[in-house]
Formats: sequence, C-alpha cells, structure tokens
Amino acid sequence: MASAHQENDRPQNIRAIMTFLREHAPFSSMDDSHLAHFAENASIQFYADGDIVLSPDQDVVKRFYVVKQGRIRGERHNDKEDRTETTFEISQGECFPLAAMIGERPTRTLHRADGDTFCLSIGQTAFVTLFAESEPFRDFCLRGVSSLLDQVNRRIQSSAMASIGSSTSLDTPLERYALRNPIVCSPDLPVRKAVARMHENNVGSIIVTDENRIPTGIFTLRDLRTMIAEGTGPLDTPIQQVMTKNPCCLPSHADAFEAAMLMAEHHFAHLCVIDDDRKLIGVVSERDLFSLQRVDLVNLARTIGTATHLRTLVSLRTDVSRLVDAMLAHGADSGQVVKIITTLNDVTVRRVLELNIKKNDPGIPFTWLTFGSEGRQEQTLLTDQDNGILFQTPEGMTAEQVREKLLPFARKVNDELAECGFTLCKGNIMASNPKLCLSDKEWDDWFIRFIDASTPQNLVYSSIFLDMRAIYGPTEPLNDLLDKILTRIRKNALFQKMLAGNAFQRKPPLTMFRNFRYISEGNKHSLDLKRQGLAPFVEAVRVFALANGVETANTLERMDELAKKGVFDPKDANAWKEGYSLIQAIRMRAHQEMLAKGEELTNYIDPDDLNPLDRRILRESFRQAQRLQQKLEVTYQL
Amino acid sequence: MLEQIKQWIEHRRGGKIGSHDPGNLPNPKTPGEQLLTDCRLIVLDLETTGLNPSKDEVIAIGAVAIRGGIIHLGDQFDLILRRPELDIRETVLIHGIGPEALTQGHEIEDALLYLLEWMNGDPILAYHSAFDQKFLEKTLKAQLGYTQPHTWMDVADLMPAFFPNTKTGGKGLDNWADYFGLEVSERHHAASDALATAELTLVALNKARSEGVKTLKGLYDKLHYHRRLQNMHRF
Repeated sequence: MASAHQENDRPQNIRAIMTFLREHAPFSSMDDSHLAHFAENASIQFYADGDIVLSPDQDVVKRFYVVKQGRIRGERHNDKEDRTETTFEISQGECFPLAAMIGERPTRTLHRADGDTFCLSIGQTAFVTLFAESEPFRDFCLRGVSSLLDQVNRRIQSSAMASIGSSTSLDTPLERYALRNPIVCSPDLPVRKAVARMHENNVGSIIVTDENRIPTGIFTLRDLRTMIAEGTGPLDTPIQQVMTKNPCCLPSHADAFEAAMLMAEHHFAHLCVIDDDRKLIGVVSERDLFSLQRVDLVNLARTIGTATHLRTLVSLRTDVSRLVDAMLAHGADSGQVVKIITTLNDVTVRRVLELNIKKNDPGIPFTWLTFGSEGRQEQTLLTDQDNGILFQTPEGMTAEQVREKLLPFARKVNDELAECGFTLCKGNIMASNPKLCLSDKEWDDWFIRFIDASTPQNLVYSSIFLDMRAIYGPTEPLNDLLDKILTRIRKNALFQKMLAGNAFQRKPPLTMFRNFRYISEGNKHSLDLKRQGLAPFVEAVRVFALANGVETANTLERMDELAKKGVFDPKDANAWKEGYSLIQAIRMRAHQEMLAKGEELTNYIDPDDLNPLDRRILRESFRQAQRLQQKLEVTYQL
Repeated sequence: MLEQIKQWIEHRRGGKIGSHDPGNLPNPKTPGEQLLTDCRLIVLDLETTGLNPSKDEVIAIGAVAIRGGIIHLGDQFDLILRRPELDIRETVLIHGIGPEALTQGHEIEDALLYLLEWMNGDPILAYHSAFDQKFLEKTLKAQLGYTQPHTWMDVADLMPAFFPNTKTGGKGLDNWADYFGLEVSERHHAASDALATAELTLVALNKARSEGVKTLKGLYDKLHYHRRLQNMHRF
C-alpha cells in the first residue's frame, strides 16, 4: 500500500517534475523521496527574453533554481573595455546559483533570461532539507561545476574498469586477443625445416595443418627438446611423426576462461583458435592470456623498443589499446593518456626505423619528423601517418642524390608503419613523398614560401606543418629550422591574421540556439569530435602560440605557456583546457567502446547516444571553444 | 494503517476530511483593484465523459494555483471522482481514466466541497473556459445545490489578447503550448493540462506587466476588450 501510494498516488504534475529532474545531474543520482520533496516545494516562474532573474543589486539569494525550459545567461561588465560579457550559460536541467546560495550572499553575476525561459525553484527551507538529507545533492552543491569533470572521469573509469576488471580479462572472447598470424606447415615437412621457420618468425610453436587449413598437430620447442634429449629420430623426420596430434582447439567465441582451464588441465601452453569450419584462425598462448592482466607501460615500451620483428611490433599494438583501457580505469586524464599513446607510438616508429636501418641502412643521417596530432603529442588510437624527413646534404652530394637513397627506405618504413596500424596518409603527407623528404635548406625555403605565399591551400596545411616534432635522429637541425620559422611568423602580421581567419572558419558545432549543429552530409545526427570539437581549440591556440613565440606543439602546453606569458587570462586558459580535455575524454571513451564492439574507429558520435550529463558537458565545452574564438576575433579584428 | 492513510489524505488535501461546512463556503471574488503581483488565480481543467454538458459528466478535476505570478506546485488539486455508474466507453481512450479508477475515485460531494474551499473564491482560468464553466456549474448545482457565480477568464482569449499577431497555426492549447515550446507531461490529464494552461498564463501575465496592466480588473477589461474586438470582426 505504502509503495503503491508513493508511485501512483503522487499528483501527475509532481510525477512529471520528478521525471524531468531525473534526466539531469545531480537529480539523476538522488532518491525518489528527495526528488518528490523538491517537486512538492517547487515553484514555476516565467521570464521573458531579457528579463532579469537574479541581480547583484538584490538581497541575499533565497531561492535555488533549475532551468525547466529555455536558458539563463550570466553577465559581467568588463570595465576595461566597457562592454558586457557573457560569462556562462545555464541551460535546461542546470542549477543556479550555487555559490551565492551556499554562501548566503547576493549573487555576483547578473542572471538574465536568454529567450523565453521557465525556471523551477525551491526556497531556502526545502534547499536546506535536501542539502542535509541527500548526499548526491550536497556533493553537487559543494563542488559545483568542477564536479562535472570528476563525474565524467568517474564514468570513463567505470566503463574502462568493466573491460579490464578481473572478471573481464577471462570473459573476453578469444577473438579479441592478439591472435598472432599462426606459423603453419604441412605434415610432411622435415622437423629441421619446421624449426628453421619457427626461428625465422621468433615463435615457440608451429601448427601442422592439412590442405584445408584444419589443424592436425602442434609442434613446440618443448617437443624439440624432448626429441633431441631422447633421440627419438633424426631432424629429417617428417613433422607428423613427432608432433602432438589433435591439438587442443577452441572456437573463436569461446572465452579466455575456457582457454585457461583447458591449458591448466592438459598442461599445454598453446591452443588453436578455429572457426566454425574448424579452420585455423590463430593461436593463443598461456603468455597471451596472462599478460592481459599486467600491462605496464615501462615493460610495454621496453618490449616494443627491443622487438626484433615487425610481426612482434604489430601484435604489441593490441597491448597499447589494452594499456589505454587500464590507464583510463586508473583515473588518468585524457591529456596524460594521449601523451602515453604518443610515447608508445614514438617507440614503435623508432623501432621500425631501427629495424629497417639494420636491414638496409641508407647510409645518410636524417631526422624523422612527425606532423599534426603526433607532432602535438595528441594521438589517440585512431591515427594516421603524417611524417617527413629532414637531412643535411653531405659534401659532394646533391639533395636530389640524397633523396634517391632515402626515398626507398622511407617507402618501406611507411608501409611497415601501416602494418602496425598507422594508416597511410591519404594526402600523402609521408616521408616517402619526395616533396617532404628535404634538406635543411630546402625545408627553410619551403617554409618561406609557405608563410609568404599564404595561399588557401597552405593555410589548410598549417594544422599539419606548423605542429612539428623530431622523433628520430639529431634534433638540432629541427630546432634551428623552428627558430627561423617562429621568427618569421612573429614578424609577419598578415600571415598571423590569415592563420587566425582560417582558424575562425572552424566553428564549434552549436547553433545560434545552442543546440548541436550536426554535420550536414551523411549521418544526420552526428558530430565529428575531432574536426568540429577539438580542431577549433587546436587551431585557435596555434595562432596565439606561433604569434607569441611558444615553441611547444602540444595544445595543452601551449595554453599553459600562453597563460604564463599573460596572453591568456589564467582562468580562461583553465576553462579552455578543461573544455578541450573533456571533448578529448569523450572521444577516447567512444574509441574504446568502438574497439570493444569490434567496430572501425571513427571520430563521429551521435549526441543522442550520450547521457544528459555528457551532452551538457559537450555543449559547455563547445561554448568554451566559441569564447576562445571570440578572443581570436577581437585580437585579430576578424 | 487506516490512520496513516487518513493522515496522508488529509495532508494531500491540506484540509480535514469530512469537516466541510457547506453553509460557510468562501465567497467568489469579483475582479477589482487587486494587484496581479499579489492575487491568487486558479487554473483549472476538467476531464469529462463527453462534450455535451447536458448529458455528459465530470470525472476528473485538475487545477493549479498562481500566486503573485508564480505557480506553486504545493498548491494544486488533482482528483478523480468516484462515479462508477458513468459510461466512459467513448472517452476512455482520451483521458485514460478507466472504470476501475472511477470506482476508487473520491466521493463526489466531498471532492466538490473541498474544491470550493481550496479555490477560496479566487478567479478561475481555463482553456476554452466556457466548456469547463458549464460542466462545473452543472455539477455543483446537481450535487450540492450550489449556484454562486464565480469569475471565469478564458486563457484561449488571454493569449491572443496579449500576443495578437502571433502565428500559432491554430487556437488550441496545443498550438500555444507548441509555440512557446512547453512540454505537456501527459496531454488530456486534467492536472497536466491545467499546468500547461497555467504556464501559458504566466507568459501572458509577464506580457501584461510589461504593458502596464497591473490589476485583476485591468486584466479582465483587456480580455473583454479583446472579446468585443473579435465579435466586431465577425460581422
């Protein structure tokens, strides 16, 4: 009876208000009885566009408001420039004023209705009751907006936890493992040749398959040891006579737990993974299963850095993705994670270069450059190659002759990087492109033309070539080059202005009414988090950084430097860093989810798929990008 | 247990059950110099078994109160009447009140007395108020023998009176609600429709204030002026 009355006998309008509140933080985590208390004590007020809701001229704030419909904007007068600035916007489901309500003081910001707006509000008594009785409500009020960041991080953590937690590592279907492309041979191959093949590929086992690729046996190093120690036969014996027949097989949809149990039962270290036709797909080793639980950065970096085969590098890429899961789960922020991904990518690139030099040294020292997001150390799992070569022409050679030697080498490196998962650059911004394999003199000329000519095409490339870093080879040649470029840009006001104008073109995806503006083509309700979300920050920050001689390419570090130099107000810089990081965090979480579902990674998301809190965060982050662009607009009088 | 239920009902109604004094009901107020920023307005919506006041009956009453230009959700009325004898087959799909709900509804006499007390004689606003007025007056007369005239105002007139050239695409509650982007939680639920009507009233009151209409009489006159204007145009 009691519960029935609570659910159904609440008046319709109270239930409706509760349903509305439940859609928004902090109400979404509050008890129903507390929501009912809010609703029963609430008032509804209407404000026409431009009406003042709260003003610093009024007395101590006595009511706590939630926007039911419409929007409130906070206004602050900028005395220096004598104009009114919008400092914040409060949209549907959001609360105000927090600080003034808790501090029992008048508000310091003028709150004005932005369009026709309805607000729900409760008086001080109800507020105090909820504050005392509801922990989520209290937490929210005390931590205010900063808790938004925490909440997002916590959510990212919990979903990442779910994919690496103790239970999951063994729940994972085998098909999600790094199924090494198995080394196979036919039954009649002599043992000597089979072992040579294992050695070549640096593996401890070989699968013997019939003509239909169905596994009939397995031969491991342990079998070889036994064979030699016991003298069971010469090394010319066909492998089928010494292999372990009928190897353990599991279908790809079996999970890691089944595999572990089977291995423990039979003391096997390897299992064949087969498809529905019993054809071999891959091999899972004991090490694969148990390494899953301990992915650590140092170890992973060392393993990548000492890998002796491209094959190993390729398979280690899955570990990188697993590491990202683990880092997110342990509360690393998106800025740290992208840097770590970049670090591991750097190690991989370096190792690919080293292995190629070992095999086929072009004989000329060079600096391997990376551009764009890798240059900014902002790579995520979805990444393509943007690289180039900088060399100093040895005496007695022409740049053209050097290129002849370096280009085939670069081609091979680009291809092998592609195998490691760094997609080939569609725009051919790669070291194997003769236009990007240049001497120091040529690069310098190239940038002079780039800066002085300022064609629209050049401006498109600014996001790539003006974020540059050396990841292999001597760094001084690049530092010298960068010095010259920065000096040239600082002196060239026209180029700065064009750069600013270009950055200003990339508008954050918000409509005039602060709704999401979807990309027009194709998917109707999708936002491109990279191009529409991050790019406005990256591009605007780059303009300020280059104009003010900031050398680092990383967007967050650039913002720090700009705040230090007094170009950005420290508070603004923080808000922008937070906005940028939040979009990045939402993007990375989307990537992890796509990866878990086995989908191809994209930067598109449908905001309708996000929960209301994330939608709100995304909107606020986009708004911060708009503010940053306003600064660009004012500074460069666009 | 029974005591708890009784307490809860009392709490919900804000008054004592069965303690109405039919001979001492609040008197209806006439629109005078009361300030809109002070006075209380009732915004009401009825659900009925049909559209014909001479044969159809009221089955649910929803109302909210506006005081000083603010809707106070603690001051509202949301009751289904106990009328198991009524034939609701034709309209059950509209208001969603089934035979079972009507059996468990509130004693009609008691509910009506409580409504009169709760309204406290304050002016009543409704969307297409003539409909609600006819039904409520008929029911009050039949059940209680109550015939005192209350002040009624039609929100369907109030809106065009203050927003004369607005293109809403129609004259219905839905048209205006859509125009102002209101979300009606459950259309054709008396209380929910009353709340939507009350929200529109807030919009109109805001406009009234900016046009210098300060008193209840001023509002009433504006409404009648609009009505006359409409009637003139008709000929």
